[in-house]
Amino acid sequence: MLLEVKNLDAGYGYLQILRSVSLNIDKGEYVGIVGPNGAGKSTTMKTIAGLIPPMGGSILFNGEDITGLVTSQITKKGISFVSEEMNLFVNMSVRENLLMGAYIIKDKKVRNDRLDFVFDLFPRLTERKDQLAGTMSGGERKMLAIGRGMMSDPKLLLVDEPSFGLAPQLTANVFESLDVLIKTGVTIMLVEQNVTKTLSVTDRGYILENGKIGMEGASCDLADDPYVRKVFLGV
Amino acid sequence: MSNKMVVNFTSWIKSAAGISITISILVAVFAAINSGPYLIVNTVVTGGMLALVATGLTLMLGVLNIAMFAHGEFFMIGSLTAYYVFTPISEFISENPESFVAVIGPLIAIVCAAIMGAISGVVAEKLVFGPLRKRSTDNWVMNSFLLTVGLSVLLVNLHQLIFGADFKGIVGYWSGMPISIADVFISRDRAMAFVISVVIVAMFWFFMTYTRTGMSIRAVSQDITGAQIVGIDIEKIVLLTISLACALSAVAGGSLLFMYPSYPTVGLEPLYLAWFVVILSGLGNILGAVAGAFMVALLKAITVEYIGAGWDFVIPSALIMLVLIFKPSGIFGSDVRGALDK
Ligand SMILES: Nc1ncnc2c1ncn2[C@@H]1O[C@H](COP(=O)(O)OP(=O)(O)O)[C@@H](O)[C@H]1O
Ligand SMILES: [Mg+2]
Repeated sequence: MLLEVKNLDAGYGYLQILRSVSLNIDKGEYVGIVGPNGAGKSTTMKTIAGLIPPMGGSILFNGEDITGLVTSQITKKGISFVSEEMNLFVNMSVRENLLMGAYIIKDKKVRNDRLDFVFDLFPRLTERKDQLAGTMSGGERKMLAIGRGMMSDPKLLLVDEPSFGLAPQLTANVFESLDVLIKTGVTIMLVEQNVTKTLSVTDRGYILENGKIGMEGASCDLADDPYVRKVFLGV
Repeated sequence: MSNKMVVNFTSWIKSAAGISITISILVAVFAAINSGPYLIVNTVVTGGMLALVATGLTLMLGVLNIAMFAHGEFFMIGSLTAYYVFTPISEFISENPESFVAVIGPLIAIVCAAIMGAISGVVAEKLVFGPLRKRSTDNWVMNSFLLTVGLSVLLVNLHQLIFGADFKGIVGYWSGMPISIADVFISRDRAMAFVISVVIVAMFWFFMTYTRTGMSIRAVSQDITGAQIVGIDIEKIVLLTISLACALSAVAGGSLLFMYPSYPTVGLEPLYLAWFVVILSGLGNILGAVAGAFMVALLKAITVEYIGAGWDFVIPSALIMLVLIFKPSGIFGSDVRGALDK
């Protein structure tokens, strides 16, 4: 088991959002978390990434307890978070952003190898490598955020709403690049509001509603489930 | 190729930065022709040192989100340290004028000032800002600002209590004939002060632009969550930034001891001037702060020369208000908004 989240409670200040969320991911799996707006999907990811301290429960990564560690330590363990807001360094060039993504890698040669890897993955970023991140289009920024997330050579990539605000063509591009990443052996946890799309690409899925896991199973089964079809797919 | 450069150059000249830098250079040249080159020498020496103080202020604002009003007190700490380190050294030099200490001694005093500045910065973070950050970051900008005002008052009074309110100054750091360039004579102290500021600004710029640590300081200033996500230890960067910022201010205080003797409120003038610079050049832009420092220094020198010594804060602040009306983001404010501009 790569990631094991057990009975996780989390929230903001006194406001509890997640109630006893349990989920797990095996190495190499592609897992989706879907659910309505405000269900707590981003909160789940932020808690795993260490941006929000958990109120209860535990998070194990590679069998090691990482509950309550700060983000920089969690990143060093091999978890990389690509947030919904992207959190790019807007006044830095594409290249600088990517190099910052490899901050935890001390070896310069390895850093440059990662840079080549990401530039291969997103040729578009190569064309724009000297452009400031803040002046790029929404789709390009998404690619940059995912690319930066990959720079640290993570074991687990957490991706929050990569298609948010993107045109259909760009959405397809982003999903394609995630497919490529899965083939390179990375484990991905994907959060999306686009339920149909997510369940069609992932191996397994969780349905999060009101801060609780409502359902879990193979993505194809979830997509055929009458409840899911009624509530999320409107059929 | 060259055509493109010409186009770039013309559009730069027409930008706010281009216009103001060009005007400044022209004004400097005319003033120098009109009343003598010493005006440029003064501008360049104070400008260089002001650049150090203003860069520190920019760092505090950009990375820590602190509107620092105690920055002048680190200037004061620098000048005080340099005074107490240099006094015994200068006695030794007067007995052994040929010794190499005559060359190295002043540098030792200035380096001690920097180290003391860095240490005081760390102490301030550990005792003042750190505890506030841990308690609550609600209303951070206002609360931390009030803390810096309190810190300033505290340090000024501590100086007075422990070291007294008299002027603690030196005759000069480097003795010897003034350096002459063309027909202009520049005292060695002034020349060295300028060299020191240029070397430090250049090193600092290189550090911020190319080193991994410098880049992570910029990363924190642009997006703190992003910085955490890529694995940057925020606490470490905060500590490093505050010690750097305070060291920069203290170096200026130490280097200028021959012009500004140390006394409790010696830091007020550099503080105000540095704030003029930061407001004028736009928050959080290091190269802008350097250019802005020379502009403010020029403005001050010219005001003193042509209008009178009492006006040297009035005219610069009036001009800054005018600039802000037309370009609220400052002359060098960029089009890309960073975390500092929120
Ligand atoms: N910074 C915050 N402070 C307080 N409440 C928040 C914050 N961020 C999100 N919330 C609340 O937490 C709930 C879950 O949000 P989120 O995890 O972003 O949902 P999702 O990503 O599933 O749309 C929402 O009700 C939202 O209003
Ligand atoms: Mg969300």
